[in-house]
Amino acid sequence: MADDLPRFDVQLRLIRDTFRLDIEYCSSCRSLGVFGVSGSGKTTLLEAIAGLNDRLEGVVRFSGQVWLDSDRGECQSAEQRGVGYVPQDHRLYPHLSARENILFGSKRLEDSGQTVETVFTEVVSVLELGELLDRPVQRLSGGERQRVALGRALCSGPQLLLLDEPLSSLDAELRWKILPFLIRIRDRFEIPMIVVSHNPIELQALCDEVLTLHKGRAIRSGDPIDVFTDKRVFNLANESGFENLLFGKVVDRVGRVDTVALSESSESVSIKAPSADCDVGAEVIAKIAPNDILVAISEPKGLSARNQIPARITCIQKLDHRSIAQVEVSGRKDPLIVELTDDSIDELSLAAGVGVILVFKTTSISFVAAL
Amino acid sequence: MPSLFETVFSTLLWAALASAVVFVPGCALAYLLARKRFWGCYALSSLTTLPLVLPPTAVGYLLLRLFASDGLLGKDALGFDLEILFSWKAVVIACSVMSLPLFVRSARVAFEGVDTRLESMGKSLGLSSWQVFLRVTVPLSSRGLAAATLLSFARALGEFGATIVLAGNIPGRTQTMATALFSAQQSGNDPLASKLLLVAVVVGFVTVYATERLSRSHLSKIGGPLDG
Repeated sequence: MADDLPRFDVQLRLIRDTFRLDIEYCSSCRSLGVFGVSGSGKTTLLEAIAGLNDRLEGVVRFSGQVWLDSDRGECQSAEQRGVGYVPQDHRLYPHLSARENILFGSKRLEDSGQTVETVFTEVVSVLELGELLDRPVQRLSGGERQRVALGRALCSGPQLLLLDEPLSSLDAELRWKILPFLIRIRDRFEIPMIVVSHNPIELQALCDEVLTLHKGRAIRSGDPIDVFTDKRVFNLANESGFENLLFGKVVDRVGRVDTVALSESSESVSIKAPSADCDVGAEVIAKIAPNDILVAISEPKGLSARNQIPARITCIQKLDHRSIAQVEVSGRKDPLIVELTDDSIDELSLAAGVGVILVFKTTSISFVAAL
Repeated sequence: MPSLFETVFSTLLWAALASAVVFVPGCALAYLLARKRFWGCYALSSLTTLPLVLPPTAVGYLLLRLFASDGLLGKDALGFDLEILFSWKAVVIACSVMSLPLFVRSARVAFEGVDTRLESMGKSLGLSSWQVFLRVTVPLSSRGLAAATLLSFARALGEFGATIVLAGNIPGRTQTMATALFSAQQSGNDPLASKLLLVAVVVGFVTVYATERLSRSHLSKIGGPLDG
């Protein structure tokens, strides 16, 4: 399963009152993100894939299976599709305990030839559910409910996971505590997933590919950074809080400042960041906004900013009233996105291929999550 | 003449039987009306409610015509006699028909109170519609269904008009608390009438009180308006 990338193939149409959804999209990737602002049709798309919206017309195929083909009159019911759907509001069963909720769909897991006990034990371990199992769901916090809902989906033997805004119902602090669980699920269970979110950071952290919906239409898809730096998407993403994600490892801690070695760098690039809520040695995700990064064309002296990283501009895109530069940091897979004004581009003669020094303050970096 | 205890016991037994008879078809009707939109659903809903608004004697007479020798369920049509009329079975049938509307209305509210998204969640977890009904809908509406059952039981306890037409008022055979009280009052036996009145008030109050408690706890369980 690990080597065969699943294929999503979706052509959907829905016209309801003033809302119109018209999507054609196909892709092969392990984790697909669906990005869009509120009302763009994300949840409708997810419900169509889950088989929970019977008013849609079109085609939905997944890895060679036809789930919907309106023209041929074919439609597999939700229970036949084998998806693990985790809705935004969790929808846990109030009459059952956490354990009973998690095992609610275990019959399908059993039918798929897997041992319920083995999967259950692994799910409980990965999602750290041990202490919650015998509690009624009314006594679970928001984050605990989210983990139980994830556990329930995983224990139903899904061939595809659908996560609808998995972090948006949680407060900011809790949100980043749940993110590592989602990353663990992606890496440990190898179940293809579609994650719907209006938060670019979640999608960057979780997805191989992102599809952007706007007013019911697919406007851009591809690699997350390419999508989020697209002129049509960047403004939407920026409103939702687009930031550069930095994956790394805490290698040193002095006072309240950590040294984080960026893990994607083959060369030893490290940055200074405010102390994270984790031990030295932990893998972490941090973030920095594009307008918190300064660009210098020579090494600046006498600055209070602790981070100065050599980099190279790969392209500059002009948006409406500003520009963004994609900047390659040696050894890092994804470029960093830096926001620039037209004046600074002209004055410093910035262009693709120009070597620069990126400068940013320790306090401009914020810790997202420890993995 | 049967003792007071025998009359009360028979009435409780017949009312319980009527509630049991009503339960399955009542649940099916209530679920259908709560969840499905189909041609004729308003007509079905009205037909189900009809015994609540018709004079009970009219319902009794309709049933009498149905089970009479020349009726649709009579000896001539079926080829054998169901031996319903003026038997304890007639009491149970009259009580069932008269309590069905109350059961259906209460059960329908109970089903409508169950979040349909929890049901569709069950389907996405691989459960069939029938399994979703048994594992999600019924448990989440159980207190409402229990309240509906008690309400139909209470209605059956007090049933008079349809019963007296279909089953008569035969002491030791088809006489209920309601018809016995009527007979006692008609014959001037005030002590017996008073005793029957007292029993009817106590049993009725306890049943309705339990129904109220269950209804409120049902609303609380499903997060209804009474959930603090």
